[in-house]
Amino acid sequence: MNYSDLTLRYFETAAGAGILTGSDVYRGAAGSRASGTWVQFDLEVRAGGILAARFLAFGCPHTIAAASWIVEHAAGPIARAALRESVESLSARFDVPVDKRGRLLIIEDAWTAGLRQAGLQA
Amino acid sequence: MNPAVYMDYAATTPVDPRVAAAMAQSLSAEGEFGNPASSHGYGDAASARVEAARAQVAQCVGALPQEVVWTSGATESDNLAIFGVAHYYREQGRHIVTARTEHKAVLDPCRELERRGWRVTYLTPDGGGVVSPAEVAAALQEDTVLVSLMHVNNETGVVQDIAAIAAVCARHGARLHVDAAQSVGKIPVDFAALGPDLLSLSAHKVYGPKGVGALLVSRHGRGPNVQLSALQFGGGQERGLRAGTVPTHQVVGMGAAFELARTAPPAEALRVAQMRERLWQGLAALGGTHRNGDALRSVPHVLNVSFEGVEGESLLAAVRPRLAVSTGSACTSALQQPSYVLRALGRDEVLSESSLRFGLGRFTRDQDIDAALDVVTQAVARLRRLSGA
Repeated sequence: MNYSDLTLRYFETAAGAGILTGSDVYRGAAGSRASGTWVQFDLEVRAGGILAARFLAFGCPHTIAAASWIVEHAAGPIARAALRESVESLSARFDVPVDKRGRLLIIEDAWTAGLRQAGLQA
Repeated sequence: MNPAVYMDYAATTPVDPRVAAAMAQSLSAEGEFGNPASSHGYGDAASARVEAARAQVAQCVGALPQEVVWTSGATESDNLAIFGVAHYYREQGRHIVTARTEHKAVLDPCRELERRGWRVTYLTPDGGGVVSPAEVAAALQEDTVLVSLMHVNNETGVVQDIAAIAAVCARHGARLHVDAAQSVGKIPVDFAALGPDLLSLSAHKVYGPKGVGALLVSRHGRGPNVQLSALQFGGGQERGLRAGTVPTHQVVGMGAAFELARTAPPAEALRVAQMRERLWQGLAALGGTHRNGDALRSVPHVLNVSFEGVEGESLLAAVRPRLAVSTGSACTSALQQPSYVLRALGRDEVLSESSLRFGLGRFTRDQDIDAALDVVTQAVARLRRLSGA
């Protein structure tokens, strides 16, 4: 499997990996290790905005790279969008093969679950 | 120069410089470039090199020169053995026995024969990857015409008891084909003593060139004398079993490679086995590691390990810049699939996918083991941290 330079960069650095703690931190997760992809996001939310985000991921390089990119670009006011970038855009950004795009949906589900925990999305 | 340490000798090996030199002599006008089937001096010279190579291969594996049929490699040898026997004996029976852990070069021809009306029994090895002779005996049917089992598994390195299985097949009257691509040069291979009817060989697993191999067709007279239907036509070379001009330089390379394998010092296998064990001890120290295949029945140059808490594709991507190994998963599309060999041994999907096969060889040195341990240790630790494992 060949990966784009961007995918490799985010996979290798995995910036934003880890967890957050505190009363303003909300957690969402989706997928399972048994199925090959599991993603967790911790969102630090205050005054309707995301102050910081972290991720954990068990998955392929595309999954790790996309999760890393998402938390890197997460901070800022919430406009009630599930992600800063759609699954389709993420797929194009990281050159994700069609067969693997379901893994981006797992990322989206994990993110949405975190927002829901924070009361930022119904 | 690729900066990655090469540890994928079970996939292929570099051509030994001595083999390359021998091959070069048969390529140019100064050497034996003639068509070995030609009836003039150039042809005679080439033919002499071809027959010398045939003798070298035969001597390395305890066969007679006349039992060696040149092919393009082990895959073609497997196809010739399976389709050749199935077609020749189609009036006697249409049942074949093989194992779920065989190479695709055996499984795919068997599946094709199923599509054409043959029945195939796929044996499941035990958790260590061993197919017992008793299991083979139980699978034989009245119309079984062929049993095809590999000598050494390409993923786990587990060695099958071919002599015992051959005895079972001989008693029943079924022919035995053995893919020995992974065993030559690693453990002793004696065609006559092991007793199969057909044996597939490859050059490029033994520091020879790609694109050449052989099928040994028994002429020892054990059991029923095996017969084959040819699969290709157009010249009658190789006793009519494999038409086409014999590529002199390729078979000379295979002969030279097998001669080097035959004369390799016995200490070489011990050296490789000791490095392999040091690698395993280092990986085992990580915790959450599982050695795949029966370690007591494994060739010295293969180590297959599954790692808990890491995803297979990411593991391979993480080590790839510095270490060339194979993953247990097969990249059949953009999605990696868990190794069917490890699944057949009872490993779950995640562990089957998170495995690495380390293949050590003639040019592996202690510092390569150190580098591999360093790379894999870092990658596993990092990926486990990323997944919260």
